[in-house]
Amino acid sequence: MKSLSDTDERLSPDGDRTPQGSRPPTDARRPRRILKPLAPSTYLIRNTGKTIPLVGVIVLAVTLVSGIIAMIDSIPYSIRTVYRYAKEETGITPRGDPTLLPQILADIRKHAPVPLERIVVCRATGSIVKSIVGKWPFLVLGLKQDDMRYYAEREGATSVLGRYPAVGKPEALISAPVAKNLDLKLGSVVLKPDDIDNYAPVPVKVVGIAQTDRWFMVDSVEFQRDNYFPPINDAMIFARTSADQEKLDHWTVNRFKGKRPVVFAYYQIEKNTKEMFATLYAILNVVISALALVITFMMGMLMNIYQSQRLVEFGLLQAIGYTKKQILRRVLSESVAVIALGWILGLGLTYALLHLAKSVLMEPRAYSLDVLDRQAYLYTVPIPLCILVVATLTVVLRFRRFDPVSVVERRLV
Amino acid sequence: MIGARGASLAYNDHGRTVYACREVDLDVRPNEFLGILGPSGSGKSSLLYLLSGLKIPTSGDVTYNGANLSKLGDDERSRLRIREFGFVFQQPYLLGYLTALENVLVSSPQDRRVDEALSLLDRLGLGGKTHRLPHELSGGERQRVCVARALLGEPKVIFADEPTAALDHANGLHVVQLLNALRGSGSLVMVTHDPTMLGEADRIVRLSNGIVEEFSDDENDLSLLRGKIGG
Repeated sequence: MKSLSDTDERLSPDGDRTPQGSRPPTDARRPRRILKPLAPSTYLIRNTGKTIPLVGVIVLAVTLVSGIIAMIDSIPYSIRTVYRYAKEETGITPRGDPTLLPQILADIRKHAPVPLERIVVCRATGSIVKSIVGKWPFLVLGLKQDDMRYYAEREGATSVLGRYPAVGKPEALISAPVAKNLDLKLGSVVLKPDDIDNYAPVPVKVVGIAQTDRWFMVDSVEFQRDNYFPPINDAMIFARTSADQEKLDHWTVNRFKGKRPVVFAYYQIEKNTKEMFATLYAILNVVISALALVITFMMGMLMNIYQSQRLVEFGLLQAIGYTKKQILRRVLSESVAVIALGWILGLGLTYALLHLAKSVLMEPRAYSLDVLDRQAYLYTVPIPLCILVVATLTVVLRFRRFDPVSVVERRLV
Repeated sequence: MIGARGASLAYNDHGRTVYACREVDLDVRPNEFLGILGPSGSGKSSLLYLLSGLKIPTSGDVTYNGANLSKLGDDERSRLRIREFGFVFQQPYLLGYLTALENVLVSSPQDRRVDEALSLLDRLGLGGKTHRLPHELSGGERQRVCVARALLGEPKVIFADEPTAALDHANGLHVVQLLNALRGSGSLVMVTHDPTMLGEADRIVRLSNGIVEEFSDDENDLSLLRGKIGG
């Protein structure tokens, strides 16, 4: 074969060919890397103007869905976090009859299905903590000195900044999250006469802050007996292990079902929270499904437009000898790559935004937000799947009766 | 090599049967340059599609090395095209996001014949433009990239469907000369309405209304036919 090049050309050191002895201003530009021409990545890399919007829409959709779910989830998560202290004990109150408690405790001591570690007779009064959805009720437990120390340790306190409340004094020990939530420091007044939410007949000062992630507030049981009505003792029963505590919770609830005492067990808080949010999640499911439908429809249309723009390419490839299956496989690989990339980046963006929201908005007030909320991320799974199904259908339908000759004859372009 | 026997291609146009090609008997011989001449609408392109397996005859047969193309499946005919044939179309269709070199490599899906592709581009005068995208090339350059794509892998038959249609006469003639010069031992089947493009053809077939009207295969006949159609 003879050479028919217009000029005498030689291979340049960088692999490109440039006319010998002349300055090649246009050809000396940095050569593009040789890519595998029909690899799915090649189309995506070389068509970022088309790839980025598609990926962007999926990223936004995933972020929107997972962000909404994570924020909604933060409410029950907050409930579980704020009242987590209840997991350590089974609470019981004789519902207004102070004479009942000794009988109740005797019954529990005699029939409890697990070994008991401690029974604490206490008093309790109400206060308020803040949450992202407003004010929540919270207990201030009145405890004896040794019970106070046992309780703080049981709730995971590693140390106490300051000291424990003195017997009968208007002093409180609060945990670090409560201090953060109510913006309290040592010496701050936590309960006072003119505060209807956090009432005490005399101002109660914070004298100790327990270092733990649990939420609790305790003061002297003698102080509560002297200052609060009604004069009714309550009790907290502690089992030795978490598993035993759960057994004890269930047993106590069943034991006193239909009777006068009221039992407070952590599993009931979880159950009630689930029931409370069941309707909200049902509504949310409808909203998210509608959103996924809209996003899928939109993505389907976008992909259809992009594929229409590539008919010449598909026609050419088929005309020169690529099978429909090969082209279909390639287009679907591209779609999978775009969808997977959008989904992964969406999850990454969600994680980053939730982290930001947690550190800027939530943590300063000790509000709870799970940045690794499994449910929030699982909710996004249908999005890529729906888009993939629509993309596949779009491509398959388009290729079913595709005639490459119509393209090379310019009947389709 | 390629044989058409009584091959017809008919379309149904609102209940009326229209023939693009009618009972064509034609052979494509090894290593020849076969020109298919005819005015617009004479069925030249349809004949090329039949010979190359892009279309299946509605009656009659087209065979390649004894294999009846009508009896091959869609995928088998595709594989035959990419393995044995090369194509140059009227428009210089290139994939816009691939460089000239990558566009050439498209016709070799299994092996990366980079050196061969570079050599072809070099011979076609595009040695300095291998990394350019199609929009950075002129129309003539784009068509030369298409020629390189068709030639990669030394196909047995190269089908060129009015490859000069989008070019001026000088550029068109140059492209045809390049195709003919670089086809090696492969055959070249070229469709055109311009007889001056068939100056190097070994044989010319003249088509009118889908029917082969004349064959010319000696020098006198060829000159006569070129003159008739040209005049």
